[in-house]
Amino acid sequence: MAQAFAELSVAQIQAGLTAKEFSAKEVAESSLARIASADKAVHAFLETTEEAALAAAARVDAAIAAGDIAQAGPLAGVPVAFKDNMNLEGTHTTCSSLMLENYVSPYTATCVSKIIEAGGIPLGKLNMDEFAFGSSTETSAFGRTFNPWDLERVPGGSSGGSSAAVAAGLATLTLGSDTGGSIRQPGSFCGTVAVKPTYGVVSRYGVVAFGSSLDQVGPFARNVQDAALAMNALAGHDPLDCTSQPVTTDFTANLAEGVSGMRIGVVPAFMEAEGLAPEVRAKVEEAVEHLRQMGAEIVEVELPNAQAAMSAYYVLGPCEAFSNLARFDSVRYGYCEPGCKDLGHQYEASRSAGFGPEARRRIMLGSYLLSAGVYEKYYYPAQQVRTLITQDYVKAYEKVDCIIAPVAPRTAFKFGEIADPTSMYLSDMFTISINIAGNGGMSMPVGLGADSGMPVGVQLISPAFKDENMLRAAAALEMVYGAAPVAPAFADGKDGE
Amino acid sequence: MTQHLTEKDVRGIATYARIGLTDEEVTEMTVDLNNIIESLKPITEYNLEGVEPTFHPIGNLSNVMREDVEGESFTQEVALENAPKQQDGSFLIPAILGGGDE
Repeated sequence: MAQAFAELSVAQIQAGLTAKEFSAKEVAESSLARIASADKAVHAFLETTEEAALAAAARVDAAIAAGDIAQAGPLAGVPVAFKDNMNLEGTHTTCSSLMLENYVSPYTATCVSKIIEAGGIPLGKLNMDEFAFGSSTETSAFGRTFNPWDLERVPGGSSGGSSAAVAAGLATLTLGSDTGGSIRQPGSFCGTVAVKPTYGVVSRYGVVAFGSSLDQVGPFARNVQDAALAMNALAGHDPLDCTSQPVTTDFTANLAEGVSGMRIGVVPAFMEAEGLAPEVRAKVEEAVEHLRQMGAEIVEVELPNAQAAMSAYYVLGPCEAFSNLARFDSVRYGYCEPGCKDLGHQYEASRSAGFGPEARRRIMLGSYLLSAGVYEKYYYPAQQVRTLITQDYVKAYEKVDCIIAPVAPRTAFKFGEIADPTSMYLSDMFTISINIAGNGGMSMPVGLGADSGMPVGVQLISPAFKDENMLRAAAALEMVYGAAPVAPAFADGKDGE
Repeated sequence: MTQHLTEKDVRGIATYARIGLTDEEVTEMTVDLNNIIESLKPITEYNLEGVEPTFHPIGNLSNVMREDVEGESFTQEVALENAPKQQDGSFLIPAILGGGDE
């Protein structure tokens, strides 16, 4: 059996490369071979990118041959993969939609090029809910992704492929995007370190837009240091996204500090929320207790308007999606229904055949909510509620450096278990308010739930542009719980049987 | 439960959003949208008098200016690479006003 390089951490890979125990070319070839065998069970990948992987590996090996691995970048030789809403020139970028089944990227997203420039070896593109609309990856037009911890369960969504690939040890780092919880919830379901940075930390250029005032790209990893290294590579201003900010933080700098003296907030209303599974609540309480024992000051904080976040999100998200998905016109790119007599008919027939049921629902909902007379009733108030939620967080952060909460109300559910769209939306009840306010949030794995035996993540939430706070608290929890393991059925190169 | 939308309303929205729906899909969509809109009720019940809206999470955004310098852009060929239909270096579409032959 070939060595499963993608089960290694960034530090382990770089140590092996430096000691010439293996080459970046071996990492690339062996990781691609591992995907070919183990991903049959997971279906995290929609496409593998051999050519780009080998080209990246050659650059890393050249730097090592020249005696300077640092020249190849802080992620030199690290197997990485990208959610399929991120453009990588010459690859398909489908958003898991029939609409973009044949779309080939003519350019590369900034987040993708930054990871590759940092030395990452791009293995491929990852499955997701269609256009990121969903919480289970079941709405993908190209088949479901299976949770590596239990193949009868969903990996979460919408970045289900990104989290499953890391949990199965098929990539060391992946990127996902999060509009209402789409990084953090699959992070919790598959037991990976999953970071949604503050809005504006990472450029959105080249990432297919869902909700432009809510979307943010972030990393999945199996330990906090690797996630922080990815954050270092990703963060910063990009002239091609004028909402990206000049962030120069070293996110690894305070990871060893521990939480002594840190003020960490608990929101009683979240802990008592209806629908929160006892096993999840117990894990969050346990993590809070560990943080307290390690010297953190635990402070109760209130977010009185957080319960309005769900309805505000399901107004704002569909409105922005309706606007963003108007670009799929069957003329410049995307699916085109053949044989239409006039352009109007071609638009309707192509968009009807190209978009799946959930995408159509959100487009229709957004169209309705933005119509005259309805706008004043829902959209405008939702933006006012956004002010209240943002103010709640600002006020809470006067008392604390970071907040701890559940990520999702429960652990990974079984396929088909949640069929009603409004019930599915509840998956995001603890994550949405963070996107509404634009703060940073992450899921940190804290072991398995007592009832389901599935991974549970706790959510750590940072003030805007203080993402280093949540990473610091996460690193402290990692000292207790250890790094996130590869799912047992896939550990040590196993293929899930 | 309040009926927010009738099937006729849903047909109107579908036309505006350029989504073709069958009769069966209209019926299903009407049920789904009514359920979702009902779940949005809390937003209509808030006392929001005097609260300013936040349209974007980064509050201090201002217009960004740059020098007008020539940069790289897609060639015509690249821009057309993903077009379902093209002709003479342009996107090809059917008749705009209906009834025409392709």
